[in-house]
Amino acid sequence: MNKYITAYYLDEEKLLKGLKQVKTKGVRVADVLSPFPVHGIDKVLGLRRSRLTRVAFAGGAIGAIVGFGFQTWVFTSAYPINFGGKPFFAAPSFIPVTFETTVLFAAFSMVIAFFVVSKLGPGNKPVIHDERVTDDRFLVIVDIPENSSKEEINEIEKALHDAGAEGINYKA
Amino acid sequence: MVSIGLIALAYGFFAGLGGERISANILLNNYYFLGMGLIGLFFVAVHAIAESGWQVSVQRIGEAMSTFIPVAGVLMLLFFAFGGLHSIYHWTHPEHMDEILLNKAPYLNVPFFYIRFFIYFIVWSLLAWYIRKSSRNLDSLNDISYFHKLRKFSAIFIVFYAISSVMSSWDWLMSIDAHWFSTLYGWYVFMSMLASGVAMIIIILYILKRNGYMTHINNEHIHDLGKYLFGFSIFWAYLWFSQYMLIWYANIPEETVYYSERMLHFKPLFIANAIVNLAFPLLLLMTRNSKRVFWSLIPVAVIVFIGHWIDLYQLIMPGAVGGEKAGIGFLEIGLTIGYVGLFFLVVFYSLTKAPLAPKNHPFYKESMDYHTNY
Amino acid sequence: MYVSPIREPLIRGNKDYSQVTKDILAPMAGTPSKYWYMGIALALSAALFGAWATYVTLFTGIGSWGLNKTIGWGWDITNFVWWVGIGHAGTFISAILLLFRQRWRTSINRSAEAMTLIAIACAGFFPLIHMGRLALAFFIFPYPNTRALWVNFNSPLLWDVFAISTYFAVSLIFWYVGLIPDIGTVRDKATTKIKKAIYGFLSFGWTGSAKHWSRHETVSLILAGLAAPLVLSVHTIVSFDFATSVIPGWHTTIFPPYFVSGAVFSGFAMVLTLLIVTRKALNLEQYITVNHIESMNKIIILTGSIVGIAYLTEFFIAWYSGNEYEMFTFVNRAFGPYAWAYWIMMTCNVITPQLFWFKKIRRNIVLTFIISIFVNIGMWFERFVIVVSSLHRDYLPSSWSMYTPSVVEVGLFVGTLGLFFTLFLLFIRVFPVIAIAEVKSVLKTSGENKNHSEHE
Repeated sequence: MNKYITAYYLDEEKLLKGLKQVKTKGVRVADVLSPFPVHGIDKVLGLRRSRLTRVAFAGGAIGAIVGFGFQTWVFTSAYPINFGGKPFFAAPSFIPVTFETTVLFAAFSMVIAFFVVSKLGPGNKPVIHDERVTDDRFLVIVDIPENSSKEEINEIEKALHDAGAEGINYKA
Repeated sequence: MVSIGLIALAYGFFAGLGGERISANILLNNYYFLGMGLIGLFFVAVHAIAESGWQVSVQRIGEAMSTFIPVAGVLMLLFFAFGGLHSIYHWTHPEHMDEILLNKAPYLNVPFFYIRFFIYFIVWSLLAWYIRKSSRNLDSLNDISYFHKLRKFSAIFIVFYAISSVMSSWDWLMSIDAHWFSTLYGWYVFMSMLASGVAMIIIILYILKRNGYMTHINNEHIHDLGKYLFGFSIFWAYLWFSQYMLIWYANIPEETVYYSERMLHFKPLFIANAIVNLAFPLLLLMTRNSKRVFWSLIPVAVIVFIGHWIDLYQLIMPGAVGGEKAGIGFLEIGLTIGYVGLFFLVVFYSLTKAPLAPKNHPFYKESMDYHTNY
Repeated sequence: MYVSPIREPLIRGNKDYSQVTKDILAPMAGTPSKYWYMGIALALSAALFGAWATYVTLFTGIGSWGLNKTIGWGWDITNFVWWVGIGHAGTFISAILLLFRQRWRTSINRSAEAMTLIAIACAGFFPLIHMGRLALAFFIFPYPNTRALWVNFNSPLLWDVFAISTYFAVSLIFWYVGLIPDIGTVRDKATTKIKKAIYGFLSFGWTGSAKHWSRHETVSLILAGLAAPLVLSVHTIVSFDFATSVIPGWHTTIFPPYFVSGAVFSGFAMVLTLLIVTRKALNLEQYITVNHIESMNKIIILTGSIVGIAYLTEFFIAWYSGNEYEMFTFVNRAFGPYAWAYWIMMTCNVITPQLFWFKKIRRNIVLTFIISIFVNIGMWFERFVIVVSSLHRDYLPSSWSMYTPSVVEVGLFVGTLGLFFTLFLLFIRVFPVIAIAEVKSVLKTSGENKNHSEHE
């Protein structure tokens, strides 16, 4: 287990201000745990925009092709049968089901991808640093490199303290 | 540009393209740009009653577009009065009446047609004027009571427009194919107008920004307009499909006659209509960034603008002109350019009349300070 | 983010974040009140009635219903469409209102979505039981089978199978993805070990990491983008069940958007009915405020007016078409033997919602509750009118007939109502009824103690 420091804020605006301040001091914040999404934190932490949208697009495209292709196959080669004088390849009739499979594939592929990349899943047991992060605390986690000296750690703690963080806690 | 339109019109007369084709073209363009004006007003009104914040930043464009309504009204009246009515609507010919048309005569007759015509235009123009005036007074006098007035007139307009947009589409468009009917028609035409109207707002905004105006508009506002263009295009396609699919599926001759005419004589345009107006906005505007920048948004807006012109062409020409005589030539293109010129003339003249940024609107500050993750 | 001072706050009372958590979790703690027990007893007995009716239907056959050879669809399809319609509000609120950035949705979306899921389950029950042989219901899915048969993709009824199951599945994951952070909150606030373990399991290991939040927001947004057209498609396809036919009164092109509008209309009415009671019973008046109720009433008047215009359009075009069968159907609807149903529909759907033009009425909770019940009734009758009055007098006057539901059909309907309320009452005990994280995220800008500090 790595060594790290945790500290918390009680207000997201102070959090953002504090994060920017410690960033200038060279402290690298590993993660922030918050009770709700804080706008603007992506920029401060340097997070990239999620690419899950591409998964959704790919899933949707596959869904559309599968949906339309399957119906075409069934009605033109596997089991052609005349329904109400309609052509075997009755494209307008295929649209509704194609639409549904598109949405279904897109939604499920994206949500599954979200769980996989975020390592979330039923029964997953996370490390709970502070039970109040899902309530009202915004917890900042700073990783400490293995070979850091006592002074370096103190410096990080001081930087956090100066930036208005509370409950600074060193964990090894 | 207006002169190109006039030349095209004169060319049409002298080249002997036939009165029906000329009339149908005037109706087409007049209706198309009237729709732009109405959508401008609708856009302002609907956001006023929905208490939307961001739209305040582009509100002046919608207001300016609405000043075209009376212009289109006068032109349309002149056009109808000087032979247009007779040339387009065959229910105005007593000798062509059959049993079905006689049954419709209580609604489709010339005096009642004109009565409805005047009601639409007078109420639209008055409300456009009131909404514009309240909005400008709100800005110049900084009096919150005009904000409530703006909302009141907007609500009245929305209610009136909900009915009049449907009825006017029956009067001016659906009655061209006088025997045919579809309950969805009015909403379908409205969605077509809405998609092309939003495209027009984007185009006007682009022109203004190119010329150094509208500096308060940022990417977030453009993004919202882009989302509208994307969404309304899909919704339009949904209505197109609903109407087409239901008529195709039930296969009742009195209904399918409408589509068979279009698929026989206008097949390329018929297919292009559905593809251009759905596929381009859907695929090109799918990503977030493409809705936020003009270089990808403007081509789509122009495509949608042309695409819905084709849509309207599909609605009018087969019934009014017929497969043999219709076409797209200098007359069509020239006249459309003429109308674009006239429309821009009116709209940009109106835009000069008021500050482009309604600074005293209670939501103005909100509109300037928002950013979204999506 | 700046919010204009003339906007009303969405959350009343000067709350801080932990107060929000406490208030919203409060209804889950402790033993339920005696009203809850009374409610669930009533709902369960209704469900029991339904269970009996289901038993009769399955073991006697649908001959126990009041259908005859002219009227092949009766209460079953009426109820099906009614429930599907109600199931539209939840996803509409969370998807379309999210796309339109309506912040007031945050207080109501969670419970509305739960209501959606329950309503869809109730809806799906009716076509299943109408099949008669419930054990063979899986025949509706296209799977490779020894009979070498495939399902009929030309049939709108089959489209329904796809639409309803996709809608249910996507709504379920949408709801659950949104619920995960809140389950995390419940887990961290849980007092007993068992509760902690169960909610810990359900929370999927949520920690609130910034990276997760960022992805979570993207996922919610894209799901909203997918769910928005999905909502439209579901009732569109339900309307295709009718509109693809050649029966006068059913075959009309306006059906798809008009059904969707009607669905949202009835869905919001049901949300109002439920939430007006819930907010009172669970002391959530400061979260679901009069302002929220007014906003929902505005949607009611909008969709109600669209439905009204559609009624008038249908009637006008029936005359305008010059088609005597079409005209007969509409005159028969309004003045024939089922005129009473038609006028109940007109009164409840078109006339009473117009009262919401008055701000006083929009903001009056008791009147809103009454009108919402009216709309629920009116929308049920709308489907009844469409289904039965179009069928009962068809092209062949010698087959004209009337339809009265049997006690078994009534039992099935009452049973789904019982099931609906039972599941909703369980839901409010098991999960937080308001999206805690989402409310917190708008608390600063839309709470009563709005501070207008400009931050990035």
